[in-house]
Amino acid sequence: MSETSPSADARAGLDGTDALVRVDNLVKYFPVKGGGLVSRTVAHVQAVDGVSLTIGRGQTIGLVGETGCGKSTLARCIAGLIPVTSGTVTFEGHNITNLPRRRMQPYRREIQMIFQDPYGSLNPRRRVGSIIGDPFAVHKTATGGERKKAVQELMERVGLNPEHFNRYPAEFSGGQRQRIGVARALALKPKLIICDEPVSALDVSIQAQVLNLLADLQQDFGLSYLFIAHDLEVVRHVSDSVIVMYLGRVAEAGPRDPVYDAPRHPYTNALLSAAPAADPDAAAQRQRIILTGDVPSPINPPAGCRFHPRCPKAQERCGQEIPPLEVKPGDPATHVTSCHFPVSEGEVLARAGRTAGRPQR
Amino acid sequence: MSISELEFQAKSVEETPGLAIEGRSQWWLTWRRLRRDKLAVAAMIVIVLIALCAILAPVFASLTGHGPAQVFPNIGVTADGLPVGPGATFWLGTDNLGHDLFVRIMYGAQVSLFVGVVTTLIATAAGVSIGLISGYFGGWVDGILARVVDSVLAFPYIILALSLAVVFGPSLTIVIAVISFFSWAGIARVVRGQTLSLKEKEYIEAARSLGSGPWRIMFIDILPNLMAPVLVLATLNIPAAIVFEATLDYLGLGVQPPTASWGNILADAQSFYQEAWWFLVFPALALVITTVAFNLLGDGVRDAMDPRTERVFAAGRGRKRRKLAKPGGGPSSQYPDPPRQPSPGGV
Repeated sequence: MSETSPSADARAGLDGTDALVRVDNLVKYFPVKGGGLVSRTVAHVQAVDGVSLTIGRGQTIGLVGETGCGKSTLARCIAGLIPVTSGTVTFEGHNITNLPRRRMQPYRREIQMIFQDPYGSLNPRRRVGSIIGDPFAVHKTATGGERKKAVQELMERVGLNPEHFNRYPAEFSGGQRQRIGVARALALKPKLIICDEPVSALDVSIQAQVLNLLADLQQDFGLSYLFIAHDLEVVRHVSDSVIVMYLGRVAEAGPRDPVYDAPRHPYTNALLSAAPAADPDAAAQRQRIILTGDVPSPINPPAGCRFHPRCPKAQERCGQEIPPLEVKPGDPATHVTSCHFPVSEGEVLARAGRTAGRPQR
Repeated sequence: MSISELEFQAKSVEETPGLAIEGRSQWWLTWRRLRRDKLAVAAMIVIVLIALCAILAPVFASLTGHGPAQVFPNIGVTADGLPVGPGATFWLGTDNLGHDLFVRIMYGAQVSLFVGVVTTLIATAAGVSIGLISGYFGGWVDGILARVVDSVLAFPYIILALSLAVVFGPSLTIVIAVISFFSWAGIARVVRGQTLSLKEKEYIEAARSLGSGPWRIMFIDILPNLMAPVLVLATLNIPAAIVFEATLDYLGLGVQPPTASWGNILADAQSFYQEAWWFLVFPALALVITTVAFNLLGDGVRDAMDPRTERVFAAGRGRKRRKLAKPGGGPSSQYPDPPRQPSPGGV
């Protein structure tokens, strides 16, 4: 059923035939309430502004971007936790956008989430067995001894001692707690697990353990992942396809290797150059692109290309025209970039721009 | 010490199951802290004794041979028609009608404790439910419920009690209804505030992503995190309700003679206390001791529930904890989260 070797379409993350989840032109604005006696909406935070993507069966889509670029909002829209302003979310051909709770229930079993904070995402007053057994209780799929057995199997599967089901979350370490979160997400045998920065709160050694666990589970259960992170190396390690977001829009998307090896969008270039490299020689040689300024406010985002105020290659056109998300010459058909002046391979960005940063050291 | 020795020691610690962290529930930790609080333990003992008095009131009645409503016109009242002082026959004296005051105070404890506990149960159930609904749903539901809470807290309760007593006639049911009606709002307000902050927690979002409905989230995910402040509020509500009940009885709106209650004994005593001090002092003492004991227990529970006091205890400055407590730290200062780490040191 689920392909482990993906078709070219599914890999794109943006279009595919064997799609598990399709997101079309998704928009999420949060109202900003003004002061005064009667609060009224004075502005909108444009958290997600027209994102389309496809998650194929058995695939891992990596979603990267700075804090505040709308990654988590997008994830919560797909999971149906917050209502969508416009656009559609389709699961296996069924439109699940803004479904009422009861009609969403069958899809909840298919789409589960793993949260960033292993401390905050587990109820401190409930025992671990009760937390992991919660999905069974909510969906009434197992009761009593059956539930306990299922919970203990899950605990064993994610590498926890099944005898510890009577303990409280406070008695576990960060990595163990994240395993509890994984077990809970796995309980209903979902098809898609949305991982919202699942390892960013963990030690590096623990990160590897959890990532390996996620990879094993994907193989065993044919899971699809939407993997959100700001650690580029982690995303590179786990993903089949990568989506780079900036201020609520997709900057660049495509299969992992083309995006990492030949990034087209100046923002992707800047992100990649900012990531620390393990090899000190490579790090010394590398040219770092320093972005100036902060991320603009999503309440009043820049016109045209949202990246243009910080872009080293920006020209007048960038501030006027929104660049379409399209395949650039020489790229595979699934690698799309939203830029008027895409970076060509070997181009040294740091010197090209008006706000050029200097090479490090 | 060589490295291999260190390794050996480290290993032996890991492998000794007895040294593993023991599962300590929040209640266990609270109970342990409470036990170390001498004042709270004393208050608990006093409360148990008062409860025993209430339960054993018929035993005292048969012991003295004086029923609670039994009048002794010959030996219970002096020739001048005044109450008889404490002595071998009447341990705490008699009242103006010749009742045995001791027996009546024991029976009065029944009324006081019953009203205190029952109204607190009703008020807590109502306050928690309304606070949860108000805080979790927010929006117009919250708007309406918050205004209701405000109006209840602003309502002159004596006037309501008076008018109800006039309409329905004074009775214990009216007393319980009035006290419950005026007690839930404070609890609801605290619960609402806690719910507002708890519902933003990630584990609530996790529960929603699993498909939990609002009622399940409120009562299974949020409520257990509210137990600490609710328990404190409930404990402190009991003495308030007892005083409230005594006030209503004193005004003649509650329990009616010949049934004994501390409030109506005090009401009778007001015209005789200059000649018969015991008539006023003993029921008043019973009321004061009971309310002080419940208040001290409530304070102790609050301190024991608050993980911050643990550190003060650990530093060996337990006696000063009340001074160190947050200024104005009422029930709202309650910490909904348990201590991240089990407390160091044994009992």
